[in-house]
Amino acid sequence: MTYFNFPHIEEDDNLKNLRNDVKSFLKTTFNSNNIKPQADAWMYSANPEFSKKLGEKGWLGMSFPKKYGGREKTMLERYVITEELLVAGAPVAAHWIADRQSGSQIIRYGTEKQKKEIIPKISSGECFFAIGMSEPDSGSDLASVKTFAKKTADGWELTGRKIWSTGAHLSHYMIVLARTEKLDEKNRHSGLSQFLVNLKLPGVEINPIEDMTHQKHFNETVFNNVKLNKDALLGEEGMGWQQVVGELALERSGPERFLSHYILLDNFISEFRYKMSEMGITSLGKIISELQTLRMMSFSIAWMIQEKKSPDVQAAFVKEAGNVFEKKLIETIREMSNLIPFEEWSSSLKSLFQDATLRIPANSLRGGTSEIMRGIISKQLGLR
Amino acid sequence: MKDEVKIILDICDKILLKNVDHHLRLNLEPNSTQFKTLKDEIISSELTKLLVKEDLGGAGMTLNDIIPIVQLSAQYGTPIPFIETIISNFLLSELNIKPENDFITLTNKTENIIIKKDKISGNFKSIPYLNLAEKILVETEIKNQKYIILFKKGGKLKLQKNFLSEPKFDLDAAELEIISMMEKPEQMDIQNLLINVRSIQSFGAMEKILKLCIEYCSQRKQFGRTLSKFQMIQNHISEIALEVAASGASLSTLKNNNKNFYNLKNTAIPKIRTGIASGKVIALSHQVHGAMGFTKEYELSYFTKALNSWRNEFGNEIYWQNILGKLFLNQNKNLWEFLNH
Repeated sequence: MTYFNFPHIEEDDNLKNLRNDVKSFLKTTFNSNNIKPQADAWMYSANPEFSKKLGEKGWLGMSFPKKYGGREKTMLERYVITEELLVAGAPVAAHWIADRQSGSQIIRYGTEKQKKEIIPKISSGECFFAIGMSEPDSGSDLASVKTFAKKTADGWELTGRKIWSTGAHLSHYMIVLARTEKLDEKNRHSGLSQFLVNLKLPGVEINPIEDMTHQKHFNETVFNNVKLNKDALLGEEGMGWQQVVGELALERSGPERFLSHYILLDNFISEFRYKMSEMGITSLGKIISELQTLRMMSFSIAWMIQEKKSPDVQAAFVKEAGNVFEKKLIETIREMSNLIPFEEWSSSLKSLFQDATLRIPANSLRGGTSEIMRGIISKQLGLR
Repeated sequence: MKDEVKIILDICDKILLKNVDHHLRLNLEPNSTQFKTLKDEIISSELTKLLVKEDLGGAGMTLNDIIPIVQLSAQYGTPIPFIETIISNFLLSELNIKPENDFITLTNKTENIIIKKDKISGNFKSIPYLNLAEKILVETEIKNQKYIILFKKGGKLKLQKNFLSEPKFDLDAAELEIISMMEKPEQMDIQNLLINVRSIQSFGAMEKILKLCIEYCSQRKQFGRTLSKFQMIQNHISEIALEVAASGASLSTLKNNNKNFYNLKNTAIPKIRTGIASGKVIALSHQVHGAMGFTKEYELSYFTKALNSWRNEFGNEIYWQNILGKLFLNQNKNLWEFLNH
């Protein structure tokens, strides 16, 4: 009767040693390069030099085949590195999307030429990607995208607009989901294809959008009759929906869904460790239990992906539970502060807290809203 | 899952499917034919000796192996001291004592214990299913030494008020016959073991509740549509599913090594997570079932009462959150180190 299984996966000595290696590397690199840890760093903190250093260490493109410049390591090894980067607040935003999902899409669906050209650069931390899914009129309803790729004698002509494209201004490529056939209302998931679009091509326009925290990390990306070669098609024509569903599982299941603001928690504990009330200690116990459970779920999904299973629904669980956890975390930290007024907190903690508080509404929007996650779960349960 | 566990699970499933229903839960009498048949089948199939060492006549399975069996038993809402007997026989086996061919129940809540010439007297609290068991296993302390004592049931049983239809009893015992008495080894933490059993059972019961919600809402129509088509209902049920999934994942702390069942941190994490989940699942499942779920006749309430009983045993999740929070703070590690060790 078990509906959703999260098999137990043990972290072996090899993984434990890897954790220690990453920790040492981060300590040294942060010190020598004067890197300041940041919350939500996978979204807000880009540092191409740091990404290159990770590539040099062999910690990007880890699961990709060696013949394309990958490392042929396991998804569990990648998971451990990802966790350590997140808890350290490392500046990983530049390469994050390429390493998390775009590279895997190319390995899975790309041509030999695409793999040979792009994967080595992702693995060396020198090629960055943006996501080309949402549009001004297509948010949660992804199948309604209107960006159109018209077949030409030489390839394709791409017209349309993508929105909320995080890091597009720093990226080299975007994987664009576009219609290659007119919308069939009876079969809305058909007639979609994915394209590998070089963002330096003529006709591509990237316009920054300032978010409510005054940061410009996401963009509107406009394609004005952009000419694409035939080999810009990623995977099979008309199979874009099926391909994008797998990509979303990679996007949703990782530890960034519940460790984005870990650095705030860690700093808070350092400052309040000896000032916590019984109520605060009790709330902390709850956080520990929920956080450790989320880690076990996400680690299990990394193993499922490694084993070529399709944990699409399990990914929706992690995304939704992770979002709920982080939203509650902000509120819980307020409750745990033992009646010590905010004004009296250290300036660094106040800064982290303010950033987290302002950024938290985005958690349950980016990568699919809570409502969409619950819809996915309901569908799997046969309710719709 | 090991092949031998799959086989045992299959045997267990067949017995419970055939014998356990809501009628049994509502009419649980030691002398009823339905109870006697179920008991005979469980005892004769040796399911109560799964954790007993092979040289003592058991199956030699590990605590890890029986997680799915405890879960299955809870999914069926099995209203007998089946799991209590498995655990009691396990503890006896760990002390190199042969298992019993009867139902045994157990408690660690004891007062005023006096041992005199192979007889035990004292007050024993909160003993589940004492009316259906023949023997009692207790952990108790006498003159700063902890003991495990197995003795024959007797004396007057006092039924306690409890959330669950699961009967719990207090017993004032006077000179009952001791079958075995051994010093308790230091590493044997019975309370943690029992808490973990409850966490696994809670997960199983929540899985059953999720199933009931899906079935009920897929059949019942209101406003010309099945309830399952209403977005609000889908939202409630997906939240239940989320809590069930998280509860199952939290049990990961117990797996791989049997010592994890005795470890405070590994015990606290699922105890807290399943406790939190239970609260949400109870409220949401009753909401989606409407008045039907509030009736004695429909089986939902059996499972929600079970969750209420288990989540309040041995300290509720708030109590355990405090223990876990202090455990971390007292170790003088940063949180990430604490989580990874």
